[in-house]
Amino acid sequence: MSAHENEEKMILDVNNLHASVEGSPILKGLNLSVKPGEVHAIMGPNGSGKSTFANVLAGREDYTVDSGSVSYSGLDLLDLDPEERACEGIFLAFQYPVSIPGISNAYFLRSALNAVRRYREESEVDAVDFLQLVREKMKLVGMDEKLLQRSVNDGFSGGEKKRNEILQMAVLDPKLAILDETDSGLDIDALRIVAEGVNALRGGDRAFIVVTHYQRLLDYIVPDHVHVLSEGQIVRSGDKTLAHELEREGYSWLESGHAREKTQEAS
Amino acid sequence: MSTETVDPWHAMLSQQVADSAGAHSSLDQRRQSASELFQQSGFPTRKHEEWRYTPLKSVAQGEYSALLPADGALPGDDELATTSDIRIVLINGRFRDDLSDLTALPDEVSIRGLAGMLAENPDSVIESIDRLIPSEDHPFQNLADVFLCDGLVIDAQGETDARIHIVHAQDGSAVSGSSHVSGLVRLSGGAKIEILEEFRSRGTTLANIRWGMEIGSGCEFSRQRVVRPGCDVLYHGTRVQVEGKAIFRDLIAGSGARLVRNEIHAILAGPEGHVDLLGGYVSNGDEIVDHHTVIEHAVEDCTSREIYRGVLGGGSRGAFTGMIHVHQDAQRTDAEQSNDAILLSRSAEMNTRPRLEIYADDVKCTHGATVGELDDESLFYLRSRGVGLEEARRMLVRAFTAEVFKDLENEALKEQFIEQLQEAMPAAGESGS
Repeated sequence: MSAHENEEKMILDVNNLHASVEGSPILKGLNLSVKPGEVHAIMGPNGSGKSTFANVLAGREDYTVDSGSVSYSGLDLLDLDPEERACEGIFLAFQYPVSIPGISNAYFLRSALNAVRRYREESEVDAVDFLQLVREKMKLVGMDEKLLQRSVNDGFSGGEKKRNEILQMAVLDPKLAILDETDSGLDIDALRIVAEGVNALRGGDRAFIVVTHYQRLLDYIVPDHVHVLSEGQIVRSGDKTLAHELEREGYSWLESGHAREKTQEAS
Repeated sequence: MSTETVDPWHAMLSQQVADSAGAHSSLDQRRQSASELFQQSGFPTRKHEEWRYTPLKSVAQGEYSALLPADGALPGDDELATTSDIRIVLINGRFRDDLSDLTALPDEVSIRGLAGMLAENPDSVIESIDRLIPSEDHPFQNLADVFLCDGLVIDAQGETDARIHIVHAQDGSAVSGSSHVSGLVRLSGGAKIEILEEFRSRGTTLANIRWGMEIGSGCEFSRQRVVRPGCDVLYHGTRVQVEGKAIFRDLIAGSGARLVRNEIHAILAGPEGHVDLLGGYVSNGDEIVDHHTVIEHAVEDCTSREIYRGVLGGGSRGAFTGMIHVHQDAQRTDAEQSNDAILLSRSAEMNTRPRLEIYADDVKCTHGATVGELDDESLFYLRSRGVGLEEARRMLVRAFTAEVFKDLENEALKEQFIEQLQEAMPAAGESGS
């Protein structure tokens, strides 16, 4: 695919997406288009649907898609199982990575990598090649090699968990990476290290959707586009300066805006 | 209890008592009284509290009442990755000298067939049996008393470090029936013994195996038991007395047996002793796995740990009954018990009964039990990384059971145990959910 074609083609096209959790609507007509190589930030107050959106893209079954469409690299994304989405190049960095006692990080990562490689009809990597690859990627995120033999995220600090997410991303080499509140629970040093890892993975056709409540992550991972999500819809889009504006003004303008609408409806 | 279900057993018992009478007076007496107890009580029904989750109806019916023939072949199975060079084979309850290899046995350790010892020196053997396995009204103990004829006597004295592999094989390929094995273990003088006890079976068989053990001061006894797929009915009972600073460790792994009842009664009889009981299993179909443990903290400063984990599919049923009895003098007891189960289908069932009886005041006792399904969050996490649903389920089952085996030093054996359990796991579609 040439650079010229990339400009024309979307990697992700979300069209009027409605989704609910246990019957309550969360996403209410979300539209978003992402081109290869772009970094989009999605900001918004708590409860606006940011995490729901990230998880719907990854295929979490707790969320029901009620209507709308999501096209990913020409595929109907909503028709794919979570593992198929991953194999097609979607990666979700979890806000709360799950710990799995009894499975070593190395075993987990290699199983994932080989599952993805099998899907792509590539040969599986053996233990030696895997170790070489993973060591290289661990340097990228400044992770201690000892964590490879530990159980997945078990007893990891908040920073270690998030770094582990970025390590997985680096190993699985996705086309679209979605970071769900990757900054939450991190101190500034951990945040910087995680962001550096992400930045090292930027480039080429890889696109990012960075979901965050706070602007500070975007000081490190500078986005091409910033969107504000409120009550399940994108209500404003702009460039990186929008993030700074939000930092100054907060989200209260959204609430008062909605409050006004509601008052009007009532009268 | 209805008499008609016990009938075939009654006939067998009466005949056995008559046939063996006159061999040795105290043995005769023990046989006689066990027979009488069994004639009265028979096999308990599910109304009996201690047997509520172990249905013995099929055992009570005639199929198992005959004794398995003295000769039999060793059912072929892949060999376990044992590091022991001492191998003991018992087929249909008989110690098989011809199939056992004792050449590497250190001087400090002796292993002998019980039948031979009963012939040679009955007084001392019977005295040991009476001491280490006191008579009690218990269906399988009664049967073991009545049919007492062979088994093993393992003695170790002084500093030694022996690893022993014991294969209990039941060959019911020609006729169905039962076998009854009694084993004694006596360790003293700081001896360390490790036993890998393996159960194999072919055909319709009941293996009734019991052990009486005394682990002397400062001694260490470690046992790994593995129930290989294809076993039918297995009763396994252990009564162990653990002296000061001694350690008793047990681990049982298994899958693919129709009914397993595992009983351990451990008595911490000297200060600073430790008991470690671990179990991991996968069950399917209409299999039944029942772990029944009693740990008695009789004296101060002892520790115990229990971890049992089961993965149940199909219509299988699991049970765990764990009594921790802390006697009045057992101050500074530290006892830990956990029992966790994953149900893979709606018709699988787990019953867990922790029982604590604490009469000392300075005691740390923790117990926990969980019964649940595979964790959705973890499944989604694995799937979101590209791992397919079926492989993700297997990985989680592996992780769940691996916890039981994590202290096992023999990595190859550990892998075999985990592998056996993983292979026994039903696929999502066939788990009957």
